[in-house]
Amino acid sequence: MLHRACALQPDILSAVAAGREREALVAAHLAACPSCREQADAISWMGQLAEAPQPSHPLPDPGVIWWKAQLLRRWQAERVASAPIERMHWVELVAGFATLAVFLVWQWRGLSTLVARAIPAGLSALSTAAPPSNPLVLMLILCGTATVGAMVLAGLHRMLYRSHL
Amino acid sequence: MVEQAAALLVEGVGAQTQEGARAELLSESEFQELYRLNARPLWAYLYRLTGNTADADDLLQEAYCRLLATRLATREDGELRAYLFRIATNAATDLWRRGGRGSRRTEPLTSESAITTDHGDGVALKRDMSRTFRDLKPQERMLLWLAHVEGSEHREIAEALGLKAASVPVLLFRARRKLAALLRKKGYGPGER
Repeated sequence: MLHRACALQPDILSAVAAGREREALVAAHLAACPSCREQADAISWMGQLAEAPQPSHPLPDPGVIWWKAQLLRRWQAERVASAPIERMHWVELVAGFATLAVFLVWQWRGLSTLVARAIPAGLSALSTAAPPSNPLVLMLILCGTATVGAMVLAGLHRMLYRSHL
Repeated sequence: MVEQAAALLVEGVGAQTQEGARAELLSESEFQELYRLNARPLWAYLYRLTGNTADADDLLQEAYCRLLATRLATREDGELRAYLFRIATNAATDLWRRGGRGSRRTEPLTSESAITTDHGDGVALKRDMSRTFRDLKPQERMLLWLAHVEGSEHREIAEALGLKAASVPVLLFRARRKLAALLRKKGYGPGER
C-alpha cells in the first residue's frame, strides 16, 4: 500500500489527463513510479468508463420539466402568500386559550359556586354558599368554552388534513 | 414529494435574494437550449452515480426544477453547466441521505450489455466497468467523475460536494488509489484495458 504521493504527481497526472501518457518523459516516470502509475491507471480507466456505451434510454421530456417547474413556482408563491394567514390561525388559538385562562382566574369564585350547586354532595353546603353568579357571567363562560372548543377542533382538523397531503 | 419540492423551492427563493437585481429566472428558450446541451452528460453522470435509470431520471428532473427556481446572475454556458452539476450532486446526496429510495435495486445492466454484445473481447470488461465503479462510495464516484470526466476544478468540486477545496486533492488521491486497487483485484491491469 502506498502512503504518499510522488512530488511530480500533479504534473504527471495532468499529462495523463491530457492524453500525453506516451510521451517519453511521462512514460519513463510512470514505469518507475508505482504511485503515479496506479493514479494514472485510475484516470485512464475513468476516461474509458465515460466513453463506455450508455443504455439507450430516452431522456425526460424538457416540456414536462418546464411545466413542473412552473407549477412548483406557483405553489411556492401561494405558500408564501398564505404563510401570514397560517400564522394567524395559531395566534388565534393561543389568544383563545389565554382569554379562557384569564377568565377562569377572574371568575374562579363564581365557577366554584356553580360547580358546588351542580354536584349533589354539595347540596348540603348550598345554604351556606355564596349567592349564585351573575347569569351574564355564566353566558360568557359557556360562549368562551364553546369558542375554544371549536378552535381546538379546527386546529386538529387542519393538522389531520395536512398529514394526509 | 410535493412537499419536498416546495421546500427545495424555498431554498431557491432564499438564494434568489442574494443574487441581486441583475439575477433573472431562465426563460423557456434558454432552458431548452441548456437542456439540449447538458441533459445527456448530466444523465450519464447521474446514471453512473445511482446505477439505475429511474433514479437518474428523477434526479435529472429535480436538478432542472431547482435550477429553474433560482434567479441566475449569469448565462455563461460553463458556469451554468457547473452549477447544474452542483445542483444534481446535491440532489443525489439528498437522495442517499433520505435513504427511502436508496433501496431501489441496481439494474442488471441488460440494456448496456445488449449494446456491447457485438463488440467482441471487450464485452465482459465493459459490462463490469459499471459494477466496478459502483463498488466505490458515492462521494468517491462523484469526485472521480467530476474531476476526470467533467474536468471540474478542485474549487468547483469542493462547492458541489460541500468540502474544503484543500481536501479535494487528498480525497481524489485516495479515491484513485482505491479504484486502482479495485481494478487490480478484478484483474484489470493496464495491459488488459
